[in-house]
Amino acid sequence: MQSDRASRTHLGMLAFLASDAVIFLLMLVSNIYLRRSEAHGGQSLLEPGRMLVFSVLLWGSSGVLLLAERQRGRGDRVGAGTLYLVTALLGAVFALAQGLEWRSLAAQGGTISSSLFFSTFYTTTGLHGLHVLLGLPVLLALALLSWTGQIGRRAPGVAAAVLYWHFVDAVWLVLYLVFYVWRGP
Amino acid sequence: MSQRAPAFPKTSARRPSAVWKVLTSTDHKSIGLTYMGVAAVFLVLGGLEALVMRLQLAVPGNRLLAGETYDRFLTMHGTTMIFFVLLPLLLGFTNYLLPLQIGARDMAFPRMNAFSLWLLVGGGLLLYLSPLTGAPSQGWFSYAPLSETPFTPQRGVDLWSAALIVGGYGTTLTAVNVLVTGARLRMRGMLYKRLPMFAWMSWINGFIILFALPCLTAVLLMLEVDRLLGAGLFTRGDPVLWQHYFWLFGHPEIYLLILPAWGLISEIIPVFSRKPIFGYEFVAWSTVAIAFLSFAVYAHHMFAVGLGWPVELAFGTTSMLIAIPTGIKVFNWLATMWKGSVRYTLPMLYAAAFIVQFTFGGVSGVTFAVVPIDWQLTDTYYVVAHFHYVLFGGSLFAVLAGLHYLYPKFTGRFLDERLGRWGFWLNVIGFNGVFLVQHLLGLMGMPRRVYTYPDLPGWGALNLFSTVSGFVLGVGLLLLLVNLIRSRTHGRLAGRDPWNGWTLEWLTDSPPQEGNFSQLPPLHSRRPLWDLKHPDDMDHVRPRRHDKNGHIREEERGHQ
Ligand code: HEM
Ligand SMILES: [Cu+2]
Repeated sequence: MQSDRASRTHLGMLAFLASDAVIFLLMLVSNIYLRRSEAHGGQSLLEPGRMLVFSVLLWGSSGVLLLAERQRGRGDRVGAGTLYLVTALLGAVFALAQGLEWRSLAAQGGTISSSLFFSTFYTTTGLHGLHVLLGLPVLLALALLSWTGQIGRRAPGVAAAVLYWHFVDAVWLVLYLVFYVWRGP
Repeated sequence: MSQRAPAFPKTSARRPSAVWKVLTSTDHKSIGLTYMGVAAVFLVLGGLEALVMRLQLAVPGNRLLAGETYDRFLTMHGTTMIFFVLLPLLLGFTNYLLPLQIGARDMAFPRMNAFSLWLLVGGGLLLYLSPLTGAPSQGWFSYAPLSETPFTPQRGVDLWSAALIVGGYGTTLTAVNVLVTGARLRMRGMLYKRLPMFAWMSWINGFIILFALPCLTAVLLMLEVDRLLGAGLFTRGDPVLWQHYFWLFGHPEIYLLILPAWGLISEIIPVFSRKPIFGYEFVAWSTVAIAFLSFAVYAHHMFAVGLGWPVELAFGTTSMLIAIPTGIKVFNWLATMWKGSVRYTLPMLYAAAFIVQFTFGGVSGVTFAVVPIDWQLTDTYYVVAHFHYVLFGGSLFAVLAGLHYLYPKFTGRFLDERLGRWGFWLNVIGFNGVFLVQHLLGLMGMPRRVYTYPDLPGWGALNLFSTVSGFVLGVGLLLLLVNLIRSRTHGRLAGRDPWNGWTLEWLTDSPPQEGNFSQLPPLHSRRPLWDLKHPDDMDHVRPRRHDKNGHIREEERGHQ
């Protein structure tokens, strides 16, 4: 029964994320499409190198989460809890870095109304950032529940939360490539 | 057959707790009925808006709703009907019926189910708060750049967007719930190929919702980025992008408003023709085809934009293609009735009206797939007639059929037959009176989305006819409402299985107890209740109401 509920929640999250992915997809397409009408969208203001460092931290957090899941499977509640916390911290560092990047971009004139590139850039990365911020309290809750022994080896919500976080990281891979690396049509 | 108390006991001392129970319930049946109740409230609002618009259009040169006031009514009416009437009605049926039909105790996520309902209600409240900050007047399609700040500065548009985003998330979560319920909670033996048609179509509908609604969410977010933060995606960028994204949602939306309605029809026609549905496999698989195609045809709403010939040809073709699985569904229903012994009780009457009117709306739809015809007729009253034939004459009539069919299950009592027949004929006459003549008006060139029109030959008379019919329709719907309320306490008792049905919902008490089933029968076929009633003549051999000699079977005789 327990595992049946877990699989149900997992499937539900999968369906929801499929729907969520469509939103990201359309926003990316609008960036790609609207770039045609601009000679200089201001993409050169972005610093792919610096952002790569923080991106690696975010992608790394997915790896840490995998480790956390392994510890949970082994029944190591303290270890798992600590790794959930590390995952959350890496996510928080990324969110902070993104906030700082936004500030410096705005200071250089790259605002949401300055060009279509930046309109779609802020909209899309903003939506992604929101996903990161929503994930943080969930990860913290996982850490707390794990420390206090309230999630065992099988808990229905955990798999769904983990799936969500991996999704957020995977989306960032695509966003990073399109906004920071790809030079446009 | 055990008789249970009516669904809503009228003891006044316990009323607060009964209301509280409805508000806090996570039972799929209570949630389903609440959806329908909410839809009824919005139907009254949207209906009144429609009548006021019709009053304005009754005579040429009228000034009851002059100028932008008309646009505001138009926007509220369209948005209300699409998002807060038809959608909640269909979600209500899905919530109520899906678990019962597949032998489940509830939906997969009961608490999230309640949450979805209240998100939708919250969206509706936001919509009706929007007039306080300047009623939106940009139309339910909200075309950019018309919907952008320079042209529609009032804040009501932002509340309108918020209403659709909030309600949309409610619907998306419901779709998640439906998909997981259908995938994981089917009873033993309930294979996909044995799903009742309604369950099957609602389940497929979950996929359409899942992929269509995020398109709306995305485009509304982008609109708000423009309106609130001055981004200019659809002004400095490309207004046609709005149309692409909007219709990528908007066309599938039309199908997601019709699929569960087809499901209801596909339940009702076999039961009242005493024959299993003709071509089950085709009806099922064509639904899947339609789900895919519904996304592939979206740009047929944009032929007037000037997409270029190759694109228009492609979308014209896919639009014609979608008529094939749809048309064959109609033939399947007719073939089911063919040589059946059809009982024209109220549900069947509404189903028959559905077939005629939906077919009519479908045929006028195919005419739009011919690009030059679309150029000629787009944004005329021909379009208004077409989509009302599909949405009202089709979808809503199917819902009314379903309502008459399932009311005994909801309440344990029948709707009053006499009142029901009066309502039916007024609805049919009223509906066709309003919209049939609008085809002519459209062909004569009367544009839509205008608050008045010149006094050209015939225009005034046809419009007046349409308006008067609107009030006939209003009376018909009012009678239905009276019937719904009165029969709850005065209706004839129905028992568990008043229509001699075949699917599992008829096995339960009326109304079903919490948890739905005390015990489920073994399931070997698509019609478990037929198997129970005819143990020596199971479903696999296509049994009919008539035996081999053409005589009505003894055990079927009592159910005229
Ligand atoms: C299920 C029921 C109905 C649905 C789903 C529905 C839907 C719609 C929609 C989507 C629009 C377009 C709004 C826009 O262009 O922004 C519309 C327009 C309109 N509807 Fe309805 N409607 C329904 C019932 C009715 C009824 C019963 C009447 C009349 C008695 C009516 C009268 C009108 C009128 C007059 C317009 C304006 C057409 C125009 O100016 O272009 N509708 N409706
Ligand atoms: Cu369409």
